[in-house]
Amino acid sequence: MNGSVLSLSNVVSGYGASEVLQGVTIEVRPGETVCLLGSNAAGKTTTLRTILGLVRVRSGEVVFNGERIDGLKTPAIVAKGITMVPENRRLFAKMSVRENLEIGANLRTDKAAILKDIEGVFEMFPRLSERAKQRAGTLSGGEQQMLAIGRALMADPAVLLMDEPSMGLAPILVEQVFEKIQEISGRGVTIFLVEQNANLALSIADRAYVIQTGRIVLQDTAEALLANPDLSKAYLGELDSVGE
Amino acid sequence: MRRLPRYVRVGLLGGFIIIYLTAVGMIAAFHERNIITGVVQFSVVLMTLVYMAAGYLAARAPKGGSPPLRPTRDALIAGAVGGVLVGVFVILMTVLADAGYTPRDMFIAITPATLDILSFDQGTYLSLPVQAVLGAVLGLAGGYLSTATPNVRSTVTRAISATLIGALGAPLFSVMMAGLGIPSRWLFRSEGLTIVGTVFVVGVTLLLRWYLLRAGGVRNALDRVPGVTRKNVNVVTWAVVGVVLAVLPWIVNTFVSDVLGTVGLYILLGLGLNIVVGYAGLLDLGYVAFYAVGAYSVAVLTARSSFLVGADVTNLAPDGFMNFWVAIPLTIVIAVIIGVLIGAPVLRLRGDYLAIVTLGFGEIIRTLVLSDWLKPYLGGPQGITEIPSVPVGPFNARDPRILYYLILGFVLVSYFVSTRLKYARIGRAWAAMREDEDVAEGMGISVIKYKILAFVMGAAVGCLGGAFFAAKLSVANPGSFTLLVSINVLAVVVLGGMGSIPGVVVGSLVLVGLPELLREFGEFRLHIYGIILVAIMVFKPEGLFPDARRARELRGEATVKEPVPALAGAAE
Repeated sequence: MNGSVLSLSNVVSGYGASEVLQGVTIEVRPGETVCLLGSNAAGKTTTLRTILGLVRVRSGEVVFNGERIDGLKTPAIVAKGITMVPENRRLFAKMSVRENLEIGANLRTDKAAILKDIEGVFEMFPRLSERAKQRAGTLSGGEQQMLAIGRALMADPAVLLMDEPSMGLAPILVEQVFEKIQEISGRGVTIFLVEQNANLALSIADRAYVIQTGRIVLQDTAEALLANPDLSKAYLGELDSVGE
Repeated sequence: MRRLPRYVRVGLLGGFIIIYLTAVGMIAAFHERNIITGVVQFSVVLMTLVYMAAGYLAARAPKGGSPPLRPTRDALIAGAVGGVLVGVFVILMTVLADAGYTPRDMFIAITPATLDILSFDQGTYLSLPVQAVLGAVLGLAGGYLSTATPNVRSTVTRAISATLIGALGAPLFSVMMAGLGIPSRWLFRSEGLTIVGTVFVVGVTLLLRWYLLRAGGVRNALDRVPGVTRKNVNVVTWAVVGVVLAVLPWIVNTFVSDVLGTVGLYILLGLGLNIVVGYAGLLDLGYVAFYAVGAYSVAVLTARSSFLVGADVTNLAPDGFMNFWVAIPLTIVIAVIIGVLIGAPVLRLRGDYLAIVTLGFGEIIRTLVLSDWLKPYLGGPQGITEIPSVPVGPFNARDPRILYYLILGFVLVSYFVSTRLKYARIGRAWAAMREDEDVAEGMGISVIKYKILAFVMGAAVGCLGGAFFAAKLSVANPGSFTLLVSINVLAVVVLGGMGSIPGVVVGSLVLVGLPELLREFGEFRLHIYGIILVAIMVFKPEGLFPDARRARELRGEATVKEPVPALAGAAE
């Protein structure tokens, strides 16, 4: 299909002897919010890590803006405009909030624009601005998630990968985080989201894929998937179409 | 069995420490060392301090416990118990010796003369009451200190420390005073303080203390003086430091200048390793490799006997292949190349594995220079001799004082460069990489590039240390580049506080400077060194002069939390 910003076709990758992704095909169009659902160990995080080059692609293609990026090193991929909000935030806990944001802009050299973007993040997350000089490790869970998102935005990405932004947060915070994700999407950033919380993710996504043991087993628009009874089966790993 | 009361345990521990000091020979050796000449020897001071510490601990609340009900009694008993233990030890040793079992077979320091020190020449059997009474009295004093107000306590400890520093530093101080033309006979005699000197030191300490207490601290005292702002206090402080550094070699003797030069070399090495270990978090146990590379490069390039000059050693060239100053940039280039060679293969390794492999690289370099294969070029076990001194115009750089200035210059440059690196983009990238390699990579930081950069910069600074070392000794041979050097440099960095630049300076002064100056402690140098290191790791694990961010990493997070209305109920 034409006009995709990021696409994976028949991607196989894994760690050592184990093949986690066994031919994954995903397509993300510009401006979309797409989510990848699946149970534990289905290969969600590995998909993100593969896109970012942290896990090597063994076969298949990853294409970004019409250009193959599989085989590139992570910093080169980041430089092209893909960043990730990692699972569990993984902030630089001993650095200040501001330093974390500055690290996010590591590849950029336009000082004035960086300063402007830091202000932009502070506008979006006012709590962070109050705590600009505080160590990231001392923030609450919700604030940490905000900072992780802000840090990823500092690279000025075209595509933002998010790994389980709801993990470990109280429901009210999860709601706030998802509101922010919609806001970011509203600014034209393409979002590829990995989630376990299917209902919530589908409520903000345009389309979704369901992954089970390294293969895509379902794909549809968000509304259609919400109504699809197979969704829960896929979650429990019982969808027949995947049998060995 | 019921646990013994705390004061008894503390007392027994104190007694045991004294017995230990005796057995390793410290008591005997330090009996020769005057503190207050003719009155108090260092051996006695050691015993005093142990008993006082026992009393102090006994009278104080244990960690997480409640304070003792009768601190005075506890302190007294603790001291006495320690004393009794020491007395019993003396008697036991004498009895054993009389019965034909000689403890000296195992502990050569346990001689009748040593036992006489413990019994204060009162004879074997009186040693028990003598030590018991001594322990009790000193324990009581220690106990009093721990129950006294903080002001009294710190005043007394300061007076004691001042006396000890004055006495132990007596040889150095009298040399310095002689250099300044101030008579010192009234203050110091036979490596100790005179009685007048002791009164003087204690008096000055007390006066200063009294004045500062009244003024409410140094800061306030200075603020009181008109026209003094914090900024010009800083300027004055730096000016004073500058002047002291500049004139130091002329008020101490050449030996001390030489020691200062060695300290400077270790500062150079420490600054280099600090980049690798402190900034980038790569544990390098083979740092000596770059030290050796620096020394051998300068040796080969400047020595008259170098193969580059010609195999015919009898036909000595007037100078080596090239001048030291031309050789230095070349040496840096060579070190950088070797830095890349060592850095590249270990990039994929982390933590322990990296440490082991770098350890191997250090040994490989040493084995290479020792090898027959490279003997025609690097001289094998003899190494390279006749390395000329550093040419500095009309001055003779064999003079430790001139060398001191040269090394000082390079230390200042490296210090400056280190500081700039730390706060530049590259320093931040290293910090991010140290915390989380994967995420750093995800932020676009090329971990490979920054690791190599760390190795290269560390190599460049470290090789300077080696270069001066070769020029200073005029020899480079494999014996100088052992694993111990790597460990010493690492200890300098860790002791000062990883990632901290002033920490490297402090670490070098403490670990390299002090043992050189306290030579008389002779065989106990490494012993004391070990005690200091353990004590620092226990009480100040972040180092003497920690980098703020590193300190946080070690102390763990103290979460600052205030109620967060909008984000109430935050998980985790």
